[in-house]
Formats: sequence, structure tokens, C-alpha cells
Amino acid sequence: MVSVAQNVSLSADAPTVETRLVYAHGLAAIITLLIAVTFGILASIELFVPDLAGNPVWLSWGRLRYDHTQGILFGWLGNAFLAFLYHAVPLLTGRRVTSARLGQWLFGLWNFAVVFPGWILVLAGFSQPLEWAEFPMVIDAFVVLALVLAIIQFLPPFFWRGLEDLYVSSWYVIGSLIFTLLAYPMGNFVPELVPGARGAAFSGLWIHDAVGLFVTPLALAILYFVIPAATRRPIFSHFLSMLGFWLLFFLYPLNGTHHYIFSVIPMNAQIGAITASALLGVDVIIVVANLLLSLRGSGVFPRDVGLRFVAMSTIFYLVVSIQGSIQAQMAVNQAIHFSDWVIGHSHLAMLGFATFAAAGGLVHAWQRIPWARYNEPVLEVAYWLLFAGVVMMVTDLTIAGLVEAHVWQSAAPWLDSVRAAKPYWIIRTASAVPIGAGFLALLVGLTTGSKGAGLREVEKTIGLEPVQQIAPTLAPVASEAS
Amino acid sequence: MSGGRFVRMSYVVASVCGVLFFVMSVALLGIWPGRVLENQTRLMSPPHPLGLSVSEKRGRVIYSREGCAYCHTQQIRYLDSDMARFGAPTLAWETRFDYPHLWGTRRIGPDLSREGSSRSEDWQLSHLFEPRSVVADSVMPAYPSLFDGSPDRPRQEARDLVAYLGTLGRARELAGPEGEAHARTACNCPDDEMAQMAFHAAALNASPARTLRNGAAPKLPAGNLEHGRELYTSNCASCHGGRGDADGPGAAGLHPKPTNLAGHEYTSDRLGQVLWNGVAGTAMPGWRDLSTQDLADLAQAVRALSTPQREPAPPQGLVDLGAHVYAANCSQCHGEHGAGDGSAVSELSIPPADFRGGRPSVAESLRALRNGVEGTKMAPWTGRLNEAELSAVAYYVRSFFQGAQ
Repeated sequence: MVSVAQNVSLSADAPTVETRLVYAHGLAAIITLLIAVTFGILASIELFVPDLAGNPVWLSWGRLRYDHTQGILFGWLGNAFLAFLYHAVPLLTGRRVTSARLGQWLFGLWNFAVVFPGWILVLAGFSQPLEWAEFPMVIDAFVVLALVLAIIQFLPPFFWRGLEDLYVSSWYVIGSLIFTLLAYPMGNFVPELVPGARGAAFSGLWIHDAVGLFVTPLALAILYFVIPAATRRPIFSHFLSMLGFWLLFFLYPLNGTHHYIFSVIPMNAQIGAITASALLGVDVIIVVANLLLSLRGSGVFPRDVGLRFVAMSTIFYLVVSIQGSIQAQMAVNQAIHFSDWVIGHSHLAMLGFATFAAAGGLVHAWQRIPWARYNEPVLEVAYWLLFAGVVMMVTDLTIAGLVEAHVWQSAAPWLDSVRAAKPYWIIRTASAVPIGAGFLALLVGLTTGSKGAGLREVEKTIGLEPVQQIAPTLAPVASEAS
Repeated sequence: MSGGRFVRMSYVVASVCGVLFFVMSVALLGIWPGRVLENQTRLMSPPHPLGLSVSEKRGRVIYSREGCAYCHTQQIRYLDSDMARFGAPTLAWETRFDYPHLWGTRRIGPDLSREGSSRSEDWQLSHLFEPRSVVADSVMPAYPSLFDGSPDRPRQEARDLVAYLGTLGRARELAGPEGEAHARTACNCPDDEMAQMAFHAAALNASPARTLRNGAAPKLPAGNLEHGRELYTSNCASCHGGRGDADGPGAAGLHPKPTNLAGHEYTSDRLGQVLWNGVAGTAMPGWRDLSTQDLADLAQAVRALSTPQREPAPPQGLVDLGAHVYAANCSQCHGEHGAGDGSAVSELSIPPADFRGGRPSVAESLRALRNGVEGTKMAPWTGRLNEAELSAVAYYVRSFFQGAQ
């Protein structure tokens, strides 16, 4: 099975990684990230300066809020994941992705038929009021098309090489692309056709599937890929890897209804989702234990920046998932649901876990593009700014949520909860300073410095090895399981 | 079986299971609940629930595109804390026209499931035009683009949106007690503790702002002026003005205009009633979410705003003329003894002034007589009464006041 990687090389003449597509999606990821974050920052300011900029309707809070999360999901994470796939799939399979030309189409479709027109349509007042599905349905049609193209682009190499002996990252990639395509219509089309409470049940499924079947598996694919590739040691246990993988795909979809606890949706469904939420925490402990054990010896803040992002992502993943298991429980949920606690939770997931994974994967892939610029010290700064920003923001919002919950449980007027939250909203916006600066530094770190500096950095820190030696560390599962 | 083949087989099995679990999630958490809810809707819904008009549907589109649902939920949970604030929990049949649903997962502003009967239309329009003009500490975005420059010049879109807000909770309210009884029987769930909560709310709409005709206002204790002034500034000044001159930013779009508090003296009881009940038919909401002590403090602050000038006692002839004019023209609405309880009251959507609990200054009184009170049935009297009669009755209505002189 070592033969897998025989045609692959990481050196400058590596033909099988479409580095131009890695680069294009990487750059698009960071640019759309900066725009999406700007939407978020403006929306956060409007919570305490509501009459910002004279209230032009296209800058009103609701529209910014829609564009913020859709931009993060499609623009930033979508592009970053695609960049990672262009880097990882050839290394995992020893085969090219289906077609570079298809890649150009996918790039164009994703950015110029989904992200940018989606943003503009939302600002112009065309959208749907459904979480993680705010882009209007015409955009959703292009998303489905793009997902089909992504499947055509990335999955055949896995099937050509054979599914036995597949490394766990490969499983996550396959699972994610297929199940996202299946789940996407549920949140984006069904609630338009099925009314009220019935539609909400489907919305609940998609809210969780967007995170659980699209973001999480691809982020985990990155963690599982980068850790052995950067530490040059195989993953701790391939058995745990696969156990975690299957449990994830069994349990994540069953969580959806936990967004509507104490609603009219049948109690049996609610309780099922709450149970699945608790079990999910167990699964995450298995996954994270395996990842952390694979990181042993590298420390919490490894020297390699890509690995450092990935290591912190792993820790964020543990915290946010345990938090999720807890807050799905009725006793907790009844108090903190609807509050800023949940906003803190979602930022810990998307800005902590997923963004750190995506950034880690991006940096890792970028280092290995022989002609790409790379500025290590600036990326170091980016890491620390983002780390500080995430911790500040999530802590602040969590406390804000508790304060709001406290007011709501009392007999005090509703407006008291708004008054009480204001200082926390100001601090949240302040946390945008390190976060925004961190993302700018990420852009600078990947576009300045000398060409090929990434590869030289790899050589200096972990030693440049041809893929023939890396691929076995991303060892096929069968080496242990059979 | 060889190792490789075994592994291959186990992956096939696992993959099939993965797909099955996904299908199970859709079936168990999407399709099955959908069928239960559909069935519930069919059984519990009144036979012909009122859907949305064309204008209300357009309003719903505006509500959707502006992301209103991302700060205002439309889902009252089966929890005492939700029921105490907002009213009866949301039943499935109430959402049967919601394409797509607008439940929301974040509450920055209050839940709006029962908003339809909570606030007056002029308040809603003023609030959309500039929320802080009527709720000083609001963080809601303003939507001036729905208006033609001022809150009383709404464009079609603002009218549509307010029309839609008027539908929130309407179907359940229209169904009335019969509807509740029908749903409860159809639910057939006497042992289901949670389902029963849907029918046990103290009020269908628990909004403290909703006006009441004759709510049981608490007796107010002695108030703290200092604290009352703080409350006044953050809750009342936006409409009634900082000094009570009815010149706050919110006053512009309200019909009738807010009361000029500086031009009136009030009894503590009267203020207690108005604060507790609001003024039906006007933008003055109830303030039942404030504690009795807060209400007392607020009443104290309101009373301190009035600047009664010692009016010279009118000559006896004027008093007699006033009594005569009042009895002939005013008592039908304002009542024989000025208590606002005349025989025509039941036909008025906005209750007439109660002169026993509130005494206008002569100037205020004359202004109302000369100009009428816009937005109410109180018309100008200049065509019917001459100057002497106007002055006489302006003085006369002051004599009903039952507070300390």
C-alpha cells in the first residue's frame, strides 16, 4: 500500500497537486473572509449604535447578519476547504483530481455564482429567513450544482484507487461531500414548501447538518491530515479514527431538533435529539483524544504554524462539542436558549474550531506550493491575534448569555436584558480588533515574504521529505485494522 | 475470509449504515414529526382559520427579508418563563400559513407571536420609522426607507409590514374560548403535561404593553421621586418629552398625541390605572412589567412635572354657564360628574378624559376645546360654542378633580 504515493512528489515538479487551484481558492477564502467579517463587525456595532450610517436599508442589521454567516460558510470555509481538497486529495489517493478545467468552472461557480451574487441579492432584499440558508433559492440551485461538480472533481480519485486501505481523512471527505448534497435541500427548499412547525423541523435538521455534515467532517479531514503530515508520525490509532468517523456520521444528523426544545415539535423527537447530542459529546471525546495523542510531543503550541492552528482547532472542537452536549440538555437549554450564549457557542464552533482548522489546512498547503509567497513571522502574529480574539469574544458572549438568561427568568422588563447586554456587545465588537487584525495578518502572511519561503520553512522545521515518506504516515487504515 | 475482503465488507456495511442513519434522521426528526404536526393541525385548528391578505403577505416578505426573525422569535416555548412574558405557547395549527416558518433562534427583542393585539398602529409605524423615538433604549434598526420622510407618511411597504404584524397571534385570538376548547378536546392529551401547558396560560397574550379596559391596577405606595425620574427618562420621555410637554421625538407620529403631562394634575390612583392598563386605542402601552414600587416612583415623577398655576376663582356666573354648557354638550361622553363614564363611552374606542383623576390647566383645557384632540372623537367646539362658553366650560371641568388642591 505504500505504492499509493509513488507517483506523488512534494517538490517543485509535483505535477499532481493543482497548486494554482489551491492558491486561487486560498486567496478567495481570505478575501471573502475579510468581507464576511466586515459584515459581522458592522452588525455587531449596530447593536449599540443602531442608527449607524443613517440607516440605508442595505446596511441594516438583518441583511448584514444574513451576509455575515453565509459569507463565512460559503466564502471563507467553502473556499478554504476546496483549497485543502486540491492539496490533499492527490496526496491521499496518488491521483490527480478529475480535471483542472473543471476546477476553474467550480471556482467560478462557487465565487461568482454563489458567494458574490448571494451577498448582493441579500443586500438588495432577496433572501430567505432561514438559518444557514439565507441566500435566495436561485443561489441554492447553484450551490447544489457546485456540490455535484465538487463530487465529480474529488471523489473519482478515491474510487479509482479503491476504498479499502483508505485513510480517515479520505472518509471524511467522501462522507462530507455526499451528505452535504443530500442535506442541503432540506434546509434550503423544504421549509419554503412545508409550513410553520413542520418546516421548522426540517430547518432544525439543516442547521445542524450544515455544521455537522459540511463544516465538521471537512475540518476534521484537515486535522487528521495535517497532524501526521506535519509531525511525521502516524495517527495514534486508526481504529479510533474510524470509530470516531462512523459515530459522527451516525450521530450528527440526529441532533437537529435540539434547536427547538420546548417547542410544539413532538417531545419524542426532541428527546431523541437531546440524547444524540449527549452521545455526540462522547464521539468527540474519542476523536479529540486520538488527535491529541497523535500530537503528543508537539506541545499545545507547536512550532509549525499550520500545525499550531490545527492543534488549537482540536482543543476548540473538544470544548465546543462538550458545551453543545450540555446546552442541549433541557435544564440548561431552557435558560440559555435564545441568548448570546448560543452566539458564543456558534462562534467557538465556526471561528474557533472550523476557522482554525481551515487556516491550519490553508497554511499547511500554502507552505507546500513551491512558488507561493510565505511570511512566517506575520502568520505567527495572525495566530496569536486570532487566538486572543476568539477567547475574548466567546468568553464575553457566554457571560452575556448568562446575564440575559438571568433577566429573562426574573420579572424585570424585557428591555432590561437589552440594557444589561450592551456592555458585553461593546466588548464583543472590541474583540473584532484582534480578530480582524488576525485575518489581515493571515492575508499578509500568505501574500508577502519570498517565493518558496514556505517550503524552506518546512525543510528547516520538520525537514522536507518526499511524499513517499509522508504518505505512509497518513497510513491506510488497513495497516492496523486488519 | 481474507483480511482485505473482511475490511472491504465492513466498509460496505458501515457505509450502508451511514446512509441509513441519515435517512433515519430525516424520517425521525423531519418526516415523522411533520406527520404528527400535520395531524395535530388538522384536528386542533378551527375549521376556517383566517389566512393572510395580499397586503399582509407582502408585509411578511418584508419581515423576512429584513431579518426580523433573527432578533424576534415567533415561537413561545412550553415554559413558564416564556408564558409569563408572552402568553400561550405556540400551537402547530397557528403556524399553518407560515411559508417558510419564522421561528428564529435568537431573542434580542421580545417574541412577537402575540404582537398583533399588543400595540397600536401609530406606535408600530413610529417604532419602525425610528425605534428610539418611542423606546429610548431600543437597539432595533430604523427603517426610514419604508416611509416618506416622517412616521405619519408611511409608504405602502410600511403599511404592509404593520398589517402583517397585526396578524401575529390573530388566528388564535379570533378562535376565542370555543377555539381553545375545541383544540383541547381534539388534543386529547389530558395526561400530557407539556401539551396541557398550551391551554393553561393566564392570558393568550401576556404582553405587559397590551392595553386593558379595566385591569385591576394595584394601589400605589409612596413613591421615590429620584428613582421615578430615572424611570421617566428611560421609558416615558421619548414621547411625553423630558419636561412632560408632549414634545418628545416620538410625539410626531402618534395620533392622538401623547398627553401633555406638565399641563395636568393627576391623582395617584389615576396614574396607577393609566400605567397599569395603558390607554386603550392609543399608543400609550401598559407598564405592567414594572414593579408596583417602580410604578409608584414613576407616578411621583409624573406628578412632579405638572406646574399648576393658581387660577383665580371664576365669577359665579361663569361657573353656572360652564355647568350648563357641560351638561348640554360634554356629559354624554365625559360623564355627569366628569369621570369619563358618560352614556356614549361604550361607542368610543378611546376613552374620554376622566376629570376626576386628572385636571387640565385652563390653557390645556381651552386648547382641547378649540382644536379638538386629533385622533379621537373629541372634535373642535369653536363652531358650536362662543368664546364665553368655551372659557366657562374650560374652567368648569377643572372643578371635578378629586385630588388634593
